[in-house]
Amino acid sequence: MGSSRKLLALAAVILLAGLTGVAQGQVRNPDTLIYVSFADPETMDPAYAYDTASSTIILWHIYETLVFFSGSSTGTFVPMLATEVPTVANGGISPDGKTYTFKIRDGVKFHDGSPLTAEDVKYSLLRFMFMDRDGGPSELLLAAILDTHGTRDERGALKPGLFAEADRAIQVSGNTVRITLKKPFAPFMSIMAMWSMTVSKKWAITQGDWNGTAAGLSRLNNPKKPEDTSMFNKANGTGPFKFVQWDRAARQVILERHDTYWRQPAALRRVIVRVVEDFGARRLMLQQGDADIVAVSRPEQSGVEGLPGVRIIDDISRLITDGIFMNMNINVAGGNPDVGSGRLDGAGIPPDFFADINVRRGIAYAFDYTTMIRDCWRGKASAGNGPIPKGMFGHPSGGKWYTYDPARAAAAFREAHGGRVWTAGFRFGVLWNTGNATRACIASVLKANIEAINPRFRVDIRSITFPTLLQQYRESRLPVWILGWAADFPDPDNFVTPFMHSDGTYAKAQGYKNPEVDQLILRARFEPDPAKRRAMYAKLHEIAYNDVTTLYSYRVDFQVMRSWVRGWYYNPAFFGPYFYPMSKQ
Amino acid sequence: MASYIARRLVLLPVVAFGVTVLIFALLQFLDPAIRAGAFITNPNQLKAIDAIIRKYGLDQPVYVQYWTWLREVFTGNLGWSQTARMPVGEAILRFFPPTLELTLVAFVPIMLIGVWMGTAAAVHRDRLIDHLSRIFSISFRSLPSFVWGLLVLMVTYGRLNWFPPGRLSLEADLFVRNPEHRFVAYTGLMTVDALLNGQLWIFVDALRHLAGPALTLTMVSIALLVRVMRSSMLEVLNQDYVRTARSKGLAEPVVIDRHARKNALIPVITLSSLTIVGLLGGVVITETIFNFPGIGRWGAFAAQQLDIPGVTGFTMFVAAITVLGNLLADVLYAYFDPRIRLQ
Repeated sequence: MGSSRKLLALAAVILLAGLTGVAQGQVRNPDTLIYVSFADPETMDPAYAYDTASSTIILWHIYETLVFFSGSSTGTFVPMLATEVPTVANGGISPDGKTYTFKIRDGVKFHDGSPLTAEDVKYSLLRFMFMDRDGGPSELLLAAILDTHGTRDERGALKPGLFAEADRAIQVSGNTVRITLKKPFAPFMSIMAMWSMTVSKKWAITQGDWNGTAAGLSRLNNPKKPEDTSMFNKANGTGPFKFVQWDRAARQVILERHDTYWRQPAALRRVIVRVVEDFGARRLMLQQGDADIVAVSRPEQSGVEGLPGVRIIDDISRLITDGIFMNMNINVAGGNPDVGSGRLDGAGIPPDFFADINVRRGIAYAFDYTTMIRDCWRGKASAGNGPIPKGMFGHPSGGKWYTYDPARAAAAFREAHGGRVWTAGFRFGVLWNTGNATRACIASVLKANIEAINPRFRVDIRSITFPTLLQQYRESRLPVWILGWAADFPDPDNFVTPFMHSDGTYAKAQGYKNPEVDQLILRARFEPDPAKRRAMYAKLHEIAYNDVTTLYSYRVDFQVMRSWVRGWYYNPAFFGPYFYPMSKQ
Repeated sequence: MASYIARRLVLLPVVAFGVTVLIFALLQFLDPAIRAGAFITNPNQLKAIDAIIRKYGLDQPVYVQYWTWLREVFTGNLGWSQTARMPVGEAILRFFPPTLELTLVAFVPIMLIGVWMGTAAAVHRDRLIDHLSRIFSISFRSLPSFVWGLLVLMVTYGRLNWFPPGRLSLEADLFVRNPEHRFVAYTGLMTVDALLNGQLWIFVDALRHLAGPALTLTMVSIALLVRVMRSSMLEVLNQDYVRTARSKGLAEPVVIDRHARKNALIPVITLSSLTIVGLLGGVVITETIFNFPGIGRWGAFAAQQLDIPGVTGFTMFVAAITVLGNLLADVLYAYFDPRIRLQ
C-alpha cells in the first residue's frame, strides 16, 4: 500500500500538473472557510488531544489559553483569558520565579452563555494534569508545576497525595489564579500559552465529566480510549468559534462563529475542517474553490504551483528539528539485520561502531548538506548546528558545524577503531519510515556520500513502517535512523532534552550520556535569566558539535491557500491555520 | 433448496470467526511495541510505549487477547477502531451504506453495458463493434484504477465541474446536517434518503457525487464481463437449439434475445455476483481518490495503521459479505439453469 500511495501521489502530480483552473471570478462561500488536510483529529478533548490535527481545531478556536503568543513571536506574550501577562516587574511572578499570578478577564462567556471564572481555570488545569493518559500531553503541566512525570506509580495506581499537592499549588481567590511551581521553570509561560485551555467546570460536570474532587479522579485518570472522556465529541469553550459537529465518517468538523465572543466576533461565520487523503482530490478542490486552505507536503508542491487564484506562502519557519541519529550502543540481542556480520570485517559493524568519535566525525564531514537540502527539501531547509531550531530563543546563529569535506572525512575514518575501519571497511543500515519521500532522499544522499569515501564502505538504506521504526529505535536496534522532533511548546528545553539528555527520547536510544550536558540542561531549565539561559544553550550546541551524535537540519514550511483568503498570519507555535483573524474577499 | 440455504447460513458465523482467528494469529507476528505504535501519533509520545502495551494487554498470549476480544464481541462490542475514531460496529454501520450505494449505482451501468457489449461483440464477431469492444475493455482493464480515477476526477471535476469528489456539496451537506431541516437518514443511502425526505435537489446532488466513482468502477470492472459474455454467447450461438430456432424462421432479434442471450447469461450471473462482492468489500483506491466515505477506504487505512479491532471487524464483515454473495450466486445459478439442483 505504501508504494501504491506513492505511485498515486506521483500520478496525481503528473496528471494534474498541466491543468488550469476554471473557478474564476467571485469568492465561493464567502462566509465559510474550508481547510482541507490529511489527518483526522483524535478527539475534541483538550486534556486528551496530543496530535496536530486535534490541536489545529480546538486550540485558540474552541478553547483559549491564559496568555497567547504576540504576533509571530514565540518568546513574547499577550494576555488572552488573563488580563495581564505576569512578569516579575508587574508582580505577577514572584522574585523566586516560582509563583505566577493570573488575573482572569471579566465578561468572557462560554459558548453556552455562562461566564468564565477563575474556578474554571483551576478545574481545567487540574483536569489536564490528572487525565494523564499514557502517551498524552499531561506530563507537560505535571513536570512544570509538580516536577513529576506522571500521576501513577509503577503499579499503575494513583500516587497518593499528588492531587492534594496540585490542589494546593493552584490557588483561586476571587478572580485570580495563583500557581506555585515546585521549582522555577523557565519555559512555564510558553507552556501556559499552549496548554492552559480552559473548559467550563459547571458544564463539564453536567456532562458527567470529572466532578473536581479527589474521589472522582479514578474515573478521569488514564481513559482507555478517546471516546471515554465526555469531551470527546462535544465542547464548550470561550474561543471565537463554537463546536457544531464532528462527523467521523464524513471526516469533517464544523465550527461556527461565537457571537458573544469577548473580542470582536470573527469575520467568518463558519469554518469547516475536512480530511481528504488523496492529494489529487485536494488539489482539484483548491482549484475549484471548494477548499480555501489545503495542506500540501513538500514533494507535492509542484502540483499547486502556478494555479490561478492560489497563493503559496513559503519559508515559514517551523519549530521542527530533523535528525540523522547515530547509535553508539546498538542492541544486537537475538540478531540484528542492520549491523551485517556484527563485526568490523567489511560485512558489518560491531555494536560500539559509532561510539568512536572518529566514525561520527567522518560521517559528519562526508555528508553533503548542500546536495541534501537542494534535492530532498527543494532548497527549503538549512543545516543545523544543534537541536534548537532557527527562529527559536536560544538558537546560536553563529554556531559551528561540519561542512562537506571528503578529505577530512577520510582522515577521520582512518583514525577510527585503530585504523581498522579504513582497511576492513564496514556495512550498516540507515532506516526511516516508509512513505516519507524526503527521508528516503536524505538516506540516498548519505549512502552515496559515505560510499564515495572508500570502496569498502557500504551503507544499506531501507524504509520500515512508522510503528516498526519507533519500536526498533526505541530498543536501540537501528545503527542510524532519520526522524524529526516537533515542539510541544516553543522553548529550547523541549529540544535539548529529547536530543541530548541521557534520559531524553532520542539520546537515550542512541546510548549518549554526557554528565556535563545533563547538568547544563537542568540548570538552563530552572534559570530565570534569559541571558544566562542563552549562554547555556549556546554551550550545549557547542557540545553537540564536539560530540556529534546527530546531524541536524531545520526545515521551512509553506502554506497553500486561495488568494481570496485574508488575514492569514503565522506563528511557529501554531499547529495549523489560525482562523480567527481570517476572512474571504 | 431451503435446507441448502439454511446450511450455508449456519456456516456463515463459522467462516466469519475463522477469519478473525486467522487475522489475530497473523497480527501476533508483530512485536507488541509495533502494535502499540497504533496508539501513537508523534515521537513525543514514545516514552509511553511500555505503558500502552500494559494498558491494552498487547504482550499477553494470543489466546488471552483473542478471548478478551471475543468476550467483548458477545456483549455486542467489536472494539474501538483507532483509525475510524469510533467503535468498530458503528464504523461498519457508517461506512457500509455509502459503499452499498456506490455499488448499486455502479452495478447498473456495469451490467447493462457489459451484457450489451458482450452480446454485440459475439453477434458481430470480427466486425468493427467486436474490435472496438475488445479495445475498450482491454485498455480499461490494463491501466490501474487510480489512473482512471484520477483521469475521471480531473476531467469531470477539474475541467467540467460536473462530478465533484465527496458525498455532497457544501450547501447540500449543511442542509442535511441542520437539525432544523429534519432530514432523516432512513437508510444511510443518500439518494434514497433524499427521495424519502422529498428533497429532489439533494438526490441530484448526491447522484452527481456518485457519478465519478461509479464511472471509474464501470470502466475498471466491465472488461471481464464483456469478455465472458462474448465467449458465452458465441458458445450458445453454436448450439443446436439456436440453429433450430433460426430454421423455424424466427426473426434474428428474437433468436438472440430470447433463445441465446438468456442461456448465455448463466456464467455472467456468477461473475456479476462476484463483482458485487468485490465492490461491497470496498474499492479502496476509487473511494480514496473520490474522497468517498466508504468501507474499503477505512479497511485499508485500518490495516496500514495496525488498528487491530478495525482490521478484525472489517475482515469479519467482508467474510460475511463474501459468503452471502456466493450463496446468492448459487441460488441464482440454480434458478436460471434448471439443470442445476442445490442439495
